[in-house]
Amino acid sequence: MITLAVFIFFAVLAVVAALLVVVQKNAMHSVLYLAFTVLATAGVFFALQAEYLGAIQILVYGGGIVVLYIFVIIIVNLKEIVPERRGLVPKLFLVGVPVLLCAEVVTLVMRTGFPSAPSGPEGSGFREMAEMLFASYLLPFEAASILLLAVLIGAIVVARRRHIDDPD
Amino acid sequence: MFALIPLFPLLGAAVNGIVGIRYFSRRAVGVTAVGAAGLSFAASIAAFAGLLRSAEPVLVKTLFTWVPASLIRTAGGTTIPFALDLTFRYDSLAAVMTLVVTGVGLLIHIYSVGYMSHDRSYARFFAYLNLFTFAMLVLVLGANLAVMFIGWEGVGLCSYLLIGFWFTKDSAADAGKKAFITNRVGDFGFLLGTGLLLFALGTIDTAGITAAVEGGMLAKGTATAAALLLFLGATGKSAQIPLYTWLPDAMEGPTPVSALIHAATMVTAGVYMVARLHALFSLSGTAMAVVALTGAFTAVYAATMGFVQTDIKRVLAYSTISQIGYMFIGLGVGAYAAGIFHLMTHAFFKSLLFLAAGSVIHALSGEQDMRRMGGLRKRIPRTYFVFLVGALAISGLPGLSGFFSKDEILASAFASGNYLVWGLGLAGAGMTAFYMFRLIFLTFFGEERFSGETAHHLHESPPVMLVPLQILALLAVVGGYVGLPRILGGGAWFGRFLETSTGAHESHLAAGTEVLLMAVSVAVAAVAIFAAWTIYVKRKGEPARRFTERFRALHRTVARKYYVDEAYNRIFVGGVFVAARVADWIDRRVIDGLVDGAAALARGASRLSILFDEGVVDGAVNGVGRVHLAASSLLRRLQTGFVYNYALAVVLGVALVITLVIVVL
Amino acid sequence: MIPIEAVIGFGLIIFTIGLAGVLVRKNLVIMLMSLELLLNGVNIILAGLGRHLNSPRGSIFALFVIINAVSEAAVGFALVLAYFRHRKSYDTDSLNDLKG
Repeated sequence: MITLAVFIFFAVLAVVAALLVVVQKNAMHSVLYLAFTVLATAGVFFALQAEYLGAIQILVYGGGIVVLYIFVIIIVNLKEIVPERRGLVPKLFLVGVPVLLCAEVVTLVMRTGFPSAPSGPEGSGFREMAEMLFASYLLPFEAASILLLAVLIGAIVVARRRHIDDPD
Repeated sequence: MFALIPLFPLLGAAVNGIVGIRYFSRRAVGVTAVGAAGLSFAASIAAFAGLLRSAEPVLVKTLFTWVPASLIRTAGGTTIPFALDLTFRYDSLAAVMTLVVTGVGLLIHIYSVGYMSHDRSYARFFAYLNLFTFAMLVLVLGANLAVMFIGWEGVGLCSYLLIGFWFTKDSAADAGKKAFITNRVGDFGFLLGTGLLLFALGTIDTAGITAAVEGGMLAKGTATAAALLLFLGATGKSAQIPLYTWLPDAMEGPTPVSALIHAATMVTAGVYMVARLHALFSLSGTAMAVVALTGAFTAVYAATMGFVQTDIKRVLAYSTISQIGYMFIGLGVGAYAAGIFHLMTHAFFKSLLFLAAGSVIHALSGEQDMRRMGGLRKRIPRTYFVFLVGALAISGLPGLSGFFSKDEILASAFASGNYLVWGLGLAGAGMTAFYMFRLIFLTFFGEERFSGETAHHLHESPPVMLVPLQILALLAVVGGYVGLPRILGGGAWFGRFLETSTGAHESHLAAGTEVLLMAVSVAVAAVAIFAAWTIYVKRKGEPARRFTERFRALHRTVARKYYVDEAYNRIFVGGVFVAARVADWIDRRVIDGLVDGAAALARGASRLSILFDEGVVDGAVNGVGRVHLAASSLLRRLQTGFVYNYALAVVLGVALVITLVIVVL
Repeated sequence: MIPIEAVIGFGLIIFTIGLAGVLVRKNLVIMLMSLELLLNGVNIILAGLGRHLNSPRGSIFALFVIINAVSEAAVGFALVLAYFRHRKSYDTDSLNDLKG
């Protein structure tokens, strides 16, 4: 009962904050609400007993990505407010498409139903997760580390200061 | 053991492509590439010897599970488990193909060391060439259609990369794109056919398909549909009507590429695929008739275009299209082994012809136009000799390889009772002999028509190019004796060897008829060669010129390739333009509001009708450029460049797919 | 016990909000943030299903999604910075170099 209450509390918080992310004029305000969303989502993860995921969410998202966003906004132009040149009808259409997509997915999910948990549950604690991650999913895990390395190099190459006359 | 065959070229491509391109000397690049091809050829021979010794006719090697087992629903409504492995299968058919691919491939690698020696992108060339060999080997060794498709796409990719090898030249880049896009149409058919078989049978393993078809599990209509879809794929890759237009343009690539990919190996992939799925094709009389007729018409149609080409490589390109038509005749009348036999001999003599043509071009400092050649017989006698051997082989001179394979196909066509196919094949044989000797007489006989400076640089090719040519010439002479027919005292060993993969095919022709058929085709070829000699040597091309004068319109039509390129442009590019117009209209209306809708519709419709009007009225030649311009300027608008429009397109696509799922299931 | 339908519904809502943000907004940075929301929505559903099926796979997949989100953010920012240096703006209306 309490977990359900916690879940609902954080879920509502996350949805409201997410809406606010999208509607802000100023990017800096958006980032603050994004931080809210991320932390509320972490709360949801805890309620779902995915403690590891919740911790990662706070560390990587809250501590890493959100701060990165703040830096970027400061480096580029904090004050610039991008005008939203679009009429009401196109805007409604553009909101309608995701809503339609959502309704379709709901239809599919309702029609399919949920299988109950398989007979031999694997357990979802830290130990099981660690064993599976470093045994069955070792190759994807290593691939992910290579991806991160590539991203690191790629981001440096792309964002490096270049002079217009210098082809390199 | 045989799984090692594709490994070496892959390693060669990786080493040359990643390390060699920057750090290797030319010598190291050449050694790596030729070494990889050589090791692969050695592995093929070893695997072939192993297969001969082995009691099993088929060897299978599973490398790893690709798609783990899951349940799928088949046409019958039953749910069955389906798993996909990355499996190689080595049987007699695969053995022949790997030997041809690696053997001819090795010779062409060696030749390229000399031919490409002055090119800047030496390592890139050999990396592509090795990668191609790898993909082709995956294609022939793949045990199911999915693995075959990896190779199928791989060879297409390498073909694109190699046609556009000199990509700074616009025509080469365009030719590469044309080849790729045309092939894409065929690949789509291949995929649809694969999907249909998966849905109908629940398996795409080639042996599984054969077993299921022979077990009578496939309805005839489904078999016809699947076979025709797969055959569409074959027409794309093997340059048959209607998807042949890319092959002549593919001659923009370096000559060794034309020899390896666009003559000896890749373009025969369709032939191989049909032979591999012979059980499926045999089940459907309609599909067989389509295969045979497509082959026969292509054989004659492409040969007519060979008459009027002046570019030495383009003549050979049309000849390739025509010869692959022969292979499909063989397949279409059920003589699968004969088709594969011609595939093999063709690989020998056609790569010989291409490489010899390359040697001519090399000697003349890049000149490809036969109108500026002539008299080369005395200047480059060794090249002349091997070229002559190749031309005699392709023309079907008795005793050379082309004679045996072509006659086996024609005899099978005759025995099948389809006299139209046989007649077209015979006509094509005569035409082949004529245009090949037209080429020889224009190139090697008569007066020298090249400039003094070219004559000054004229030289016979280095040994690294000549030795592969001489080996190929030897193969073009003796390659036919593995399939020496019984009537001539042979054992038709080749056909019996292939029986384990392609089934038995007994010809029920009387011995006398068979000899008579041989005599007829030899006579036709001899007459054609004599005619070519009379026209181009004795009377110095005068009759040909008079004929051109007299039938100017006909000549122009053939020389412009029957305007098929133009028609395809008109129909398909024009079709895209209409679609783009529609898409553009929807985009604007939905996104930018409903204000200008009616006016835009009226404008769009009237502009369409104007364009249609102009296109039809202005006639064939004039309209093409305009259609191009209009199409591109309209297509351009579809690309707004705004990121949210692209995002919207993606989301709408997803929504559409999900809607389909909801509605259908 | 939290009903799985509620978790999936919640995830879908976050996903939809993110998608709408990507489509509607013209501010490049806010579009990137909306992308994070999209990925978050997916993660919630993954975590919920992992809980429902009592399997660690949900968390593992979500972990990989987070790794991808980090990569995407890093490359995205690099591109934004490089672009901003060029144009002095992050308005996507001026970002139409792909226009044919």
